[in-house]
Amino acid sequence: MRIRPLLLVLATLACRGGGSAPQRNALVDSRDTYDPRSLDPALSTDVPTGRAVSYVFDGLTRFTPEARVEPGLAERWEVSPDGLTYTFHLRRGVTFHNGEPFTSRHVVGTFQRALDPATKGGRAEPLAPIKGSADFAGGRAKSVSGLAAPNDSTVVITLSEPLASFPKLLAMPVASIVPDSTPADFGQRPIGTGPWKFVEWRHDDYLKFAKNTEYWGGAAATDTLIARIIPEPSTAVAEFEAGNVDILLIPQGETAAWEETDEKKALLQSAPALILYYVAINATRGPLKDVRVRQAINHAVDTRTILRQLMGGRGYLARGVIPPILEGADTTRARFAYDAAKAKELLTAAGHPNGVDVELWHSQDPTIARLSQTVQGYLNAAGIRTKLVQRDASSAREAARKGETDMTLKTWYADYPDADSFLYPLLYSGSKGPGGNVSFYASTAFDKLVRASRREQDDAKRAAIYRSADSLAYLDAPMVPLFFYNDLYGVQPWIRDFKVPTIFNGQRWTDVKIVGPEQANP
Amino acid sequence: MASFLLRRVLLAVPTLFGVLVVVFLLLYVAPGDPVQEMVGERADAETIARLRRELRLDDPIHVQFGHYAGGVIRGDLGTSYITGRPILADIAERFPKTLLLASSAMVLAAIVGITIGVASARRPGGWLDRLSLGAAYLGISFPVYWVGLLLILFFAVTLRWLPPSGYGRVEFLVLPALALGSRSIAFLARVTRSSMLEVLGSEFVRTARAKGLAERGVVVRHAFRNALIPVITVLGLDFGYYLTGSILTETIFSWPGLGRYVVNAISRRDLPAIQGSVLFLSVVFVAVNLLTDLAYAKADPRVAYE
Repeated sequence: MRIRPLLLVLATLACRGGGSAPQRNALVDSRDTYDPRSLDPALSTDVPTGRAVSYVFDGLTRFTPEARVEPGLAERWEVSPDGLTYTFHLRRGVTFHNGEPFTSRHVVGTFQRALDPATKGGRAEPLAPIKGSADFAGGRAKSVSGLAAPNDSTVVITLSEPLASFPKLLAMPVASIVPDSTPADFGQRPIGTGPWKFVEWRHDDYLKFAKNTEYWGGAAATDTLIARIIPEPSTAVAEFEAGNVDILLIPQGETAAWEETDEKKALLQSAPALILYYVAINATRGPLKDVRVRQAINHAVDTRTILRQLMGGRGYLARGVIPPILEGADTTRARFAYDAAKAKELLTAAGHPNGVDVELWHSQDPTIARLSQTVQGYLNAAGIRTKLVQRDASSAREAARKGETDMTLKTWYADYPDADSFLYPLLYSGSKGPGGNVSFYASTAFDKLVRASRREQDDAKRAAIYRSADSLAYLDAPMVPLFFYNDLYGVQPWIRDFKVPTIFNGQRWTDVKIVGPEQANP
Repeated sequence: MASFLLRRVLLAVPTLFGVLVVVFLLLYVAPGDPVQEMVGERADAETIARLRRELRLDDPIHVQFGHYAGGVIRGDLGTSYITGRPILADIAERFPKTLLLASSAMVLAAIVGITIGVASARRPGGWLDRLSLGAAYLGISFPVYWVGLLLILFFAVTLRWLPPSGYGRVEFLVLPALALGSRSIAFLARVTRSSMLEVLGSEFVRTARAKGLAERGVVVRHAFRNALIPVITVLGLDFGYYLTGSILTETIFSWPGLGRYVVNAISRRDLPAIQGSVLFLSVVFVAVNLLTDLAYAKADPRVAYE
């Protein structure tokens, strides 16, 4: 008889929660897998930080979920015919969360602070194009000569050389505008002008934000936003299935399980991500100096099968480094066909009838490791004897940047949605090593095109230059571009107006709402 | 007793110094560059050189070590390269959570494990003994992350009795403590059983029974106390490991403890964070060992320290 109350309790507990709409007025994100570095924009180098910064702060410009650039704190801007001077007209009547009115002074102050070595940010790269930034960062000047605030609502920025994608750089987290006073714990309790006010940060646990009712762009549709930090993807899936989190990044390994179950499939949303999977070929090492060997490597790998079988088709075959959704992409370019015989022919022509020996480095990431093993199999079959070297991500990255690896299989995440964010870091000769070009590719013709593209103010003309630069590098084969990844999200049925962002800081949750059970389960 | 304590504490100093040196050397020779982790995927050579200078990473190793050890002696574990926060504050925020999880797992393991052990020792070969042997094999062999995921799937996703992960009220503690403690439950049950069997077969137990004492009194008051020493050893060792290494459990249950902090620090090559937490955990480990030794004396008056 004593067992019955217990059963009753258990039964009551079992009815809690469930797949119905939650009783909360808080949006819960599950994407962060580690604690943000800091919430100070000047220290932003990682995705969790960048996302949180995009909630609390505004930049002069910002990205839409579709990765278009749109006005932020700058209402509009003009660029001089020579492409050197940008005049930003600032939004009036904007205040920081502490009530401080936003003016041009904050823009100048923010950029100087980010560049100032005393801030120890180290990630002011997006501001480097501003004239005088290097002198200021190096302590050779008291201020940044290219920054001027002629009146409260105007900022004039002069660049050291033209850069057509500059407005996009200003939408990056490091360029987010901070108030006058940034005390030592600013990274722990940030104050910005953004749609969400910072409330609480429990390290390795969650971040909490409340809607900014005064937001110039209109208050967010939901009161509270919580970004939970969940290191294990399987746990995030469990939290989603228990209804505790509203969106979920589907782990690569679970793609098929979600796509093949009807009720789960109904919750899926997908968008192309600006992520390239590729094998960097160090064009300065041994037999890899010969373009024919590098082309042979491209011919030897069946990327189409890899994408379909290994990645569950979650991506778009690459034929260059520019993702199809960006200006300058060429979706019709002829790819290096999968042809082992052709690969052997090229090797023989390059003077290696008995094949070559190379190392392929990769990190421990399960997807990267599996891809590497498969690529190794294809290369071996074509006479390119490949030894795999697995290291932790930090060691693998360091070795590649020092030019100590023949080949490295890795990913590249765009910082801003522009072809320049692929061409310049990955292949420009000035970006060798830590700049991102771990192929150590150096082509005068390519460099010339990249420089020309940065100067070109006409969008169509610039896209054409991007396309030729991409073609040129593709044929020089300093890498095997594998595919561009697709992000796949699970979105709870009670969530409305969430758009999967193409770039990491392109979704600020302002329009997203939670609807009642009737609407959630029609 | 006091002199024993003093001696043990003094002996810990060279041990901890050794830990400090070994960790420092290991990190010095290990591949991976902290500055490259700080600046992210793209950086220019000038910034990297400046940061290396500021962090004194270009100094000779003995200068770097002297600088660091000097700080440690003054009680300063430095600040994180990545977050800029003081290491000590980071540890102070996370260690209580690790301690809570480890203690809960240990208490759970002690209660369940010892009870099962004593019960199976009373009827060796009985159904409970055989069942617990089977369960113990499973408990010892299943890796903790697998147990953890099963617990989440069953209790949180299917039954929805408990939250899958996170930190908060007591319901958040149940599953991770169970996952973490499962191995200890199994191990303690077996150790308690064999220790009890040995004691129950000894002559003083026969005498106690001959005196006409109730069986309950014999088992609990006479036999159990004498069977405790190996049990304390297991408890102490496991507790030390839980305090220093519940990394997998903390990861699977999104528990914001020190284990995850260390792993993150290692993957980002955050040298001060790694060194500081390893040193701190060594202190904890040494302290737990000392407490275990003291517990021996408490359990068995024949063990005395001077």
